[in-house]
Amino acid sequence: MRLYADSTKCSGCRACLVACSLNLFQENNPKKAALNLIPHFPDPGVFEMKVCTQCGECAEACPTGAIHQDERGVYYVAFDECTLCETCVPACPEGVMFVRTELANTAWKCNLCSDCVKVCGTDVLRIAE
Amino acid sequence: MNGYADTIVRVDLTTGKVSKEPTPDKLKMDFIGGRGFGAYYLFSEVPAKTEPLSPANKVIISTGPLSGLMIPGAGKMDWTTKSPLTGGYASSSLGGMMTAELKYAGIDSLIIEGKSEKPVYLFIENDKIEIRDAAQFWGKGCFEVEQEMKHLFGEEFQIAVIGPGGENGVLFGSVNHDYGRQAGRGGIGTVLGYKKLKAIAVHGTNEIKVADLEAYRKAGMDLFKACKDAEGLKPWQSYGTTIVTSWCDEVGALPTRNYTSGSFEGGKTLYGPVMRDQIVITDKGCFGCPSPCGKYSHMKKYNTRVEGPEYETIGMLGSNLGISNIEDVAEANRLCDDLGIDTISTGSVIGWAIECYEKGILTKEQTDGMELKFGDPEMVLTMIKKIAKREGLGDLLSQGVKKAAKKIGKGSEKFAIHVKGMEQSAYATHAATAMLLAYMTCDVGAHHNRAWAITYDLQVGRAKVTPEKVEKVIWFQNFRPMFDVFGSCRLQWVELSIDRDLYCPALEAITGVHRDWKELEKVGERIWNLTRLYWLREVEGFDRNWDMPPERFYTEPPTSGATKGQITKLADVNILLDMYYDQRGWTHEGAPTPETLSRLGISEFAL
Amino acid sequence: MPIKVTVVGLLKNYTEGKSNFELPTGLTVNQIIKDLKIPNELVAGVFINDRAEPKDYLPSDGDTVKLIAVIGGGCQEE
Repeated sequence: MRLYADSTKCSGCRACLVACSLNLFQENNPKKAALNLIPHFPDPGVFEMKVCTQCGECAEACPTGAIHQDERGVYYVAFDECTLCETCVPACPEGVMFVRTELANTAWKCNLCSDCVKVCGTDVLRIAE
Repeated sequence: MNGYADTIVRVDLTTGKVSKEPTPDKLKMDFIGGRGFGAYYLFSEVPAKTEPLSPANKVIISTGPLSGLMIPGAGKMDWTTKSPLTGGYASSSLGGMMTAELKYAGIDSLIIEGKSEKPVYLFIENDKIEIRDAAQFWGKGCFEVEQEMKHLFGEEFQIAVIGPGGENGVLFGSVNHDYGRQAGRGGIGTVLGYKKLKAIAVHGTNEIKVADLEAYRKAGMDLFKACKDAEGLKPWQSYGTTIVTSWCDEVGALPTRNYTSGSFEGGKTLYGPVMRDQIVITDKGCFGCPSPCGKYSHMKKYNTRVEGPEYETIGMLGSNLGISNIEDVAEANRLCDDLGIDTISTGSVIGWAIECYEKGILTKEQTDGMELKFGDPEMVLTMIKKIAKREGLGDLLSQGVKKAAKKIGKGSEKFAIHVKGMEQSAYATHAATAMLLAYMTCDVGAHHNRAWAITYDLQVGRAKVTPEKVEKVIWFQNFRPMFDVFGSCRLQWVELSIDRDLYCPALEAITGVHRDWKELEKVGERIWNLTRLYWLREVEGFDRNWDMPPERFYTEPPTSGATKGQITKLADVNILLDMYYDQRGWTHEGAPTPETLSRLGISEFAL
Repeated sequence: MPIKVTVVGLLKNYTEGKSNFELPTGLTVNQIIKDLKIPNELVAGVFINDRAEPKDYLPSDGDTVKLIAVIGGGCQEE
């Protein structure tokens, strides 16, 4: 099970980012979201949405084993176990492992909560196998 | 915090001083935020009879309690000032990402005061607020500056920028942001240009705290669900405001050749589906919006890109100028955006100039040797550049249609289509009495977004002059601008027909204050009366004549189109206005009575 | 297959609140509007399978037809 993103439908609204940060950190702060929205403006004028594919590269790279899988097989970061070594960040092929120490004392990633899917109005996001 | 950042920031461009103060609780209770804050600070702090282009004028930039939160369309920001175009109240709503970013930077309202000697820009990164030299940016177009600043500071920065139009003192200078959104009307960009503030760059990484987190998440999700379940969602996403172009043409509301008609025989190639097929690449949305109406377009004819055109621009730079090629309209749109001038006022003043030329009121000597005729896109593109540079005829037109007509005279005032000096936006009102009244009484001049009543006019009878019509216009005026107060978009309610009661639990969960729509409309009524007092205070001899519509709408029935032969009678215009004043609790010269001010708790502002 | 017609927002005022109809093919959108007793000039947008079409359009088998007024949310009295 993983998120899928159809960038061609993305309007750049960032509702997904707020919903995500709310779920992950209980905060309204889209900079603490686990999806990566990349605007390409003014030319060509499209949005790119990168999401976690649950590939597991981050977990494999993590030297402290702070990235676990839940009962659904979804990879998540145990915040209290992360040592901020940042090894996971370049290991992620989609650029959706996040470390920003000015924002949080832990790496973070998507935990497949599905709140982003709930708020996306243009059918960019869906969850499937 | 409860949805607010709890800080008002003042930037004094004369002294270079930046100061902060807590957001007053009374302001949150009585005026809530956004536009409400703008009206309050404008009235209270800008001294009576201040010249708009003087250091004593202020630009008040306000987020609202919904801005930046998980609420559909939580991306609107209010810009308020004393208008150099009208001499009265100006308030313009900017979409995009700016309002959210300013909230995350910890700011409810940003008040720009004074005047800088040299061009500067404001750099805001959370607590760090700096006035920086803008020499490298001054004179450049809006798209270039936004791109440069994002490269310099980072993609996460949100940029609001004025163009050469505002810098040069075009009276309808706009503020631009996010490669395609504007605070367009009333000359807010002009005031900033006078103050030599080229741009504001904001980066905020704080969170926004709310009163009840779980209740807010539920209320927000309910609002998103309502939007996603709306039957009209997909059509709105595909076409945005261009959904109405064909219909306006059909019902005689599409401004054509300086409002001589409401239908355009060349209109079909401007319609929404044609535009979508021909130029649209991306449906672009403001912060938190599930129903993105922005249409980011690529014009092959010019190899340029623009967010738009919106219906308003299609009306004013398309049919109003007799232009039927959507790519020409889109390019005219792009020029206006880049040069930083309002597309609506620009289209109106060019339409007026063409009619002047046709009637021999302007001669080739006065038009720099140019022939001005309807249906000439090349001339329009040239004229837009001349207006932004205030060059030749562009200098006259840069003053707006009211001042230009006053200067030229020779009967040209009769077809200067404005109210209070604000050029009418893109609905022809020869035969739609509620919408006519809406334009007459709109608080910033002839703008449509306070009360949009054309469907209502058709439902109950175009020419009808009834207390119910007046009541409807007033209800719209008290209600619709509340979204500008919340800092979120009204179009989810307007276009998707979601239940407005869904906003109440969201507001309560965020702010901790329970309010139903009756109480919210009272706040709307309060703000409406305060801004009316502002006009009365600022404009010498302000009276009911300032609420009168352009003469064309009671003297010149269209000779073609859906409203051929139809016109409103002057007697009916006055009846409507008198009913309006009565229902508003105003005198017959249009002044709020002491009883009305007392009922709304704003007696302290009485003149 | 019948055409599925959805009447949106304030246009439901004219269909006694009913929003969904199934109608046979062979009627243009103008005729459908007339049969549903909706004032034609209030119909601002006609969408066939979510694509805007003019009112003289002839829907095919199984098409969805959406009829929308502009500012649908704005015209019901509170």
